[in-house]
Amino acid sequence: MTGTGEAQCTTWRCLPPIFFLVALIAWVSPAAAQTEETVCIQCHGSQPGQLGAPVREWRTSIHAANGISCHNCHGGDPTDVAMAMSPERGFLGVPDEKSIPGFCGRCHVGVKEDYLASAHGRALGKGGPQCVTCHGNHAVQKASPDLINPKDCSRCHDYGRAEEIKSAVLETDRRITELERQLLSLRHIGIATAEMDGELFALRNRFHRLFHSVDVEKVRSQTAGFQTELGKISGRIAEIESKLNRRKLWGGAMVALLVGCGILSLLIYRSYRKEI
Amino acid sequence: MQRSSRRKFLASLLGTLGAAAVGIATYPVFKYLAPSRSDERGGKVTIPRAQVGVGQARFFQFQGHPAVVLQRGPGVFAAFSAICTHLGCIVKWVPEKGEFLCPCHAGRFSSDGKVLGGPPPKPLPSIPVAISGENLLIG
Repeated sequence: MTGTGEAQCTTWRCLPPIFFLVALIAWVSPAAAQTEETVCIQCHGSQPGQLGAPVREWRTSIHAANGISCHNCHGGDPTDVAMAMSPERGFLGVPDEKSIPGFCGRCHVGVKEDYLASAHGRALGKGGPQCVTCHGNHAVQKASPDLINPKDCSRCHDYGRAEEIKSAVLETDRRITELERQLLSLRHIGIATAEMDGELFALRNRFHRLFHSVDVEKVRSQTAGFQTELGKISGRIAEIESKLNRRKLWGGAMVALLVGCGILSLLIYRSYRKEI
Repeated sequence: MQRSSRRKFLASLLGTLGAAAVGIATYPVFKYLAPSRSDERGGKVTIPRAQVGVGQARFFQFQGHPAVVLQRGPGVFAAFSAICTHLGCIVKWVPEKGEFLCPCHAGRFSSDGKVLGGPPPKPLPSIPVAISGENLLIG
């Protein structure tokens, strides 16, 4: 009887941490939970070959990592199997080549604007590239200057001009990536970086918009402005890091003081003991 | 006698070190609780009314951050932070639609800052605006 009571007690003791863990997982991964629930993924995810491939590719994408699911691009009703692909529920299906910039540009408004004004955009429908040509579709990854490479650019034209643009953006992009890494490290140790994260994201977005113009002169002329802004963020990060170093120094001093106090207390205590 | 003076010396040393430790421990608490210099990043901003036409918006820096003031109707002004509440991009004003649009992920906000569509989780934070003669006093 007592044994059962103890077992129950142990079980009840376990429950709060389990509930806490479940709640924490649900809170930490709302995007994953949201995307896994859609009927699109349930149905297509289990299919072999061409019908299931988009889901498998999408799972590796930056869209999946950020909770952007099938219906966010293709429309339709992600909660109703029967009506999931109904035009009545806004299902758009697969866009034709000329519609792709408009399709992606519903979310990536700024990039679409710069792309359409560029030589690439003006050649849309006349053999020019659209979003998917460079970024791929379902397996789309976080954009980087690596997308500008001889293999891909040479499919349509000489690499020379593309290489010029790449060399113009490379240093700024490397600096953005480095600052992102520094902010992530600060966030991991509990420093509030949300404001700087936002500023850096906005700057990165504006910079990536810029090279969709595929105008090397424009990129070069605006790069200095971006570098100045990056310098300001970099300065603020350096300030935080310097403050953390000072804290470490004072923390070390505090430990030394406490050790000193401990030794002195011991010596005083021993001096009393000798009298006894 | 010698033992007593040694003990006094140790006690005064302990007191000094203890006081130093207390000082180091309380300084960050004091610094955290002390009122911050609120005006260190700029206080109120004054913008001439004439620079903000009806249905138009004007962007400016408020306390080190981008902000926007607009005249929603004749004599009706509103000011907001111009930072999208999704990922921090700067919204732009679309006068034809009378709404804000974030160029990064198409977040849309109404002229009173409320979310109309897209991924932003919260409205644009509003900033108080007062009319002072021919000027707008923002902040």
